[in-house]
Amino acid sequence: MATASDIFLEHADVVVAGSGAAGMRAAIAAHDAGANVVLLAKGPRRANHTRMSGGRYNVVSGLNPADGNDAFFRDTIDSGVGINNHELTRILVDEALARAYDLEEYGLAWDRTEADKYYMSMTGGGTYVRTLGSIDEGIGITEVMLHQMHKRGIRICDFHMLTDVIRDGGGCVAGGLVIDLSKGVWRFFSAPTVIIATGGTSQLYETSSGPTINTGDGIAIALRAGAELVDVEFMQFIPISFVYPQGARGYTLTEPAHYGPRHFDPNAEAAQLLNVKGERFVLKHDPLRKEGSTRDVLARAIMLEILEGRGTPEGGVYMVPDPAVFDAFLRERPIYVKRLLENYGEPQARLQAPIQVMPSALYTLGGVRIDRWCRTCVPGLLAAGEAAGGVHGANRLGGSSMPDIQVFGRRAGMAAADDAKAARAPGDAGLEQARARVAELTAPMQRADGVRPTEVKRRVQKLMWDHVGLVRTANRLEESLRAFTDLRENVMPRLKVTNKSRVLNREWMESLELANLLDLAQVMAATSIERKETRGAFYRTDFPETDPDWTANLWVRRESGRVLVEKHAVAGSATPATAEAARVAAAS
Amino acid sequence: MSTVASITVTAEIQRFDPSQDAEPRFESFEVSGLANMSVLDVVRSIYENQAGDLAFQFACRVGRCGTCAVRVNGRPVLACQERCKAQMRIEPLKPFPALRDLVVDRTEIESRLASFELAPLRNNAHPGQPELIAPDLAAKLCHMDSCLLCMVCVSACPAVEERPFDGPAFMLKLRHMAEHPADRRDRLDQALQGGMLECFNCDVCTQVCPADLSPAQAIRDFRRELFFGRGKEA
Amino acid sequence: MSAATLPRNTTRQSEGLLHGDIARWLHRVSGTVIVVFVLVHVIAQAVLHVPALASVKAGAPWLPAVQSQHWIHAALYFSIVFHTLYGLKLLLSELGMRVDYRISLWAIVAISALFGLREVLRYAGV
Repeated sequence: MATASDIFLEHADVVVAGSGAAGMRAAIAAHDAGANVVLLAKGPRRANHTRMSGGRYNVVSGLNPADGNDAFFRDTIDSGVGINNHELTRILVDEALARAYDLEEYGLAWDRTEADKYYMSMTGGGTYVRTLGSIDEGIGITEVMLHQMHKRGIRICDFHMLTDVIRDGGGCVAGGLVIDLSKGVWRFFSAPTVIIATGGTSQLYETSSGPTINTGDGIAIALRAGAELVDVEFMQFIPISFVYPQGARGYTLTEPAHYGPRHFDPNAEAAQLLNVKGERFVLKHDPLRKEGSTRDVLARAIMLEILEGRGTPEGGVYMVPDPAVFDAFLRERPIYVKRLLENYGEPQARLQAPIQVMPSALYTLGGVRIDRWCRTCVPGLLAAGEAAGGVHGANRLGGSSMPDIQVFGRRAGMAAADDAKAARAPGDAGLEQARARVAELTAPMQRADGVRPTEVKRRVQKLMWDHVGLVRTANRLEESLRAFTDLRENVMPRLKVTNKSRVLNREWMESLELANLLDLAQVMAATSIERKETRGAFYRTDFPETDPDWTANLWVRRESGRVLVEKHAVAGSATPATAEAARVAAAS
Repeated sequence: MSTVASITVTAEIQRFDPSQDAEPRFESFEVSGLANMSVLDVVRSIYENQAGDLAFQFACRVGRCGTCAVRVNGRPVLACQERCKAQMRIEPLKPFPALRDLVVDRTEIESRLASFELAPLRNNAHPGQPELIAPDLAAKLCHMDSCLLCMVCVSACPAVEERPFDGPAFMLKLRHMAEHPADRRDRLDQALQGGMLECFNCDVCTQVCPADLSPAQAIRDFRRELFFGRGKEA
Repeated sequence: MSAATLPRNTTRQSEGLLHGDIARWLHRVSGTVIVVFVLVHVIAQAVLHVPALASVKAGAPWLPAVQSQHWIHAALYFSIVFHTLYGLKLLLSELGMRVDYRISLWAIVAISALFGLREVLRYAGV
């Protein structure tokens, strides 16, 4: 009779964790390079962040003669306030078009104004009109990629949650330990390469725009496996999202509604944002660009209004859209018009009445540190997509995640296939480690008494939202770090779950996720304490200015249980890309 | 929201663990909250406060992933989009086999989708510049590509229940490929193999679709093609 | 101000009628009524007019009266009209005509009900 520590052994060349576009693109590329690939999805394969995306795609397509790769590069570095990994950013810019054509080849129909001219729009922080889109948004992107997976016969395992990457004695990847929640059995996928494409950490926050499964699993797994994380103190908050009803709270309202005419014309005005007194509070934060400012400035401005008591009773502020934009908005974003109708009402859906909005955690700017081929410092471990860090720096341009996941998903797949070819098959190295880990992870099911994971998760989400979110300061960060450490050491060992069966045990899955969330909460708080400045999405009330000394990245790794934070020079920039960096270089 | 009323919901949820139970049973729960709660909000509340062993599926909670479909008072809906009712009976989506409680096994759905090969079968590689697609056609293709594969239509379809018919969603996806200018496969033939002729043309699928699509219209388009031949070059 | 049609509000899908189910059920019932009527009518006429069945006719004195029941006529006419019109709707929609499934159902039900009502009024002497 099978016991809890019985593990089914499987073999692959490349294990991809994550069923979003980055994971799927990696699987496709690895398969096409001849590797035997398995893709793991924590739940049903369509439950991923890409699916929820507005699907906008920044690319220099050649259709705007004023635009060029250098301009896109500069926009990305400026938005990232100079701390992007310049090499990765350059690759993003240079390869985005080829990947857009790939998606078209897969069957995606980019919106068009004419048969051979894509429809393009502006994005906040971009200089030129260059953003492509398709009205099926993230749904269409995930569907066409799934069909490419089917076409190639790539094995997709739903309800397979990666819990650990196991390394052999030499520190190389030996495989991935996985719990198959649909059958309640453990599987060890013996493989020389694992690609982490598990998305971001939005679920760390009380109000977020992401799916419930984005608990940063892969990033925490990579950290535990010895990889370095970079820029984890940077979390992007979208400025406008739904305030109610409960289920929709935090779900992004997207730029076209907000930017209004500015969505098409860089010189036009964006929708006004008013507090409960009717004041245009953004003017005090960015008098030049006003409500057309970047996401970080807007999110912070709205958050401060709410914190200082000038928000609505429901916890938002008012956006006053321009009704003239409605026709274009309906054409470009019918799904969002529908949600406005269902959540708020018809006048709001027609952009004829003020719309309540609030900031929400959207995108994890940092993540696993990767090189130009998505390799981490752990041999055999790669990362791509939102789980990886460095491409976008301190703040991401809207519309840049879609090309990121295609470009780096593909590169991760190609690199992993290469690495797998060169590596020795791990056999069953790591199986013993996996067994030991299984015993640790099934502990909550053994306990009769204890704390339920949901309560602890709520506590973590509230601490993160209040203190390690849009507005941070030293004493609150330190308080949170102490709280996270206390939770890790004293509460986690007391977790218990109601159901003792492993099949679709949501509470147990939440206990596994909670460990990952806490690992990340700790490093996010620790790195936030170190960075004594404000930059992009990172805002400290005790250090509200940008400090040129901090045009640098913080790398984090775990060694013997200790968190080590190191400051490093910005990667890949031979010549400074921003005016500010040039000044710093000249001064030094 | 200060002007939203409160509600007390009585929800009967189907519980079934195939490894232990001989047959499904119903458990009744009461949840109080705002009247604009969704069915998913109610289920999550039950899971968090009353039945920690409840198995249910959701992810995006805003009607984008399509994975939370269940039956509410007999009607298939997306749990995250459907407003709660004072009296609700919540069951897993039929006719799919239950994995546990409200979660169904989608293996056969996925294998059926895979067998249809819904990637465009191209004559030539991508031209390396924008493919020629008329703007209206591009918009139509995108609209069809916004199908969530939530299976609400398949669950509601009376023909699926009575006849050898794959279901509306599959026909819609086949139609999507049929209308894609780059696709060269005989999608009409695939649709016929999938039981397209069994459709009653009743538009129940059109009514229940959470993405405002009409699989029935896709089938009607296929039937017109059957009568009059296809407009696309072979 | 734009008057473009908004997407549907699909948050109350478990409420209300499923039009397609009603349409299908009515089409089946009306079809059955027609078939049953023809069968019964043939047998009834045979009994009434075929000499060889005179003994059966004698044993069923209620038969002539049955045929003039207003509700039988109403049900029959409703069924014939509904089944025909709805069948036409199915056919035309498959040949390319765009038909709204709700409006067409209720319009056809209304027209069929009118024919049924006409029978009731006829037998009531109006």
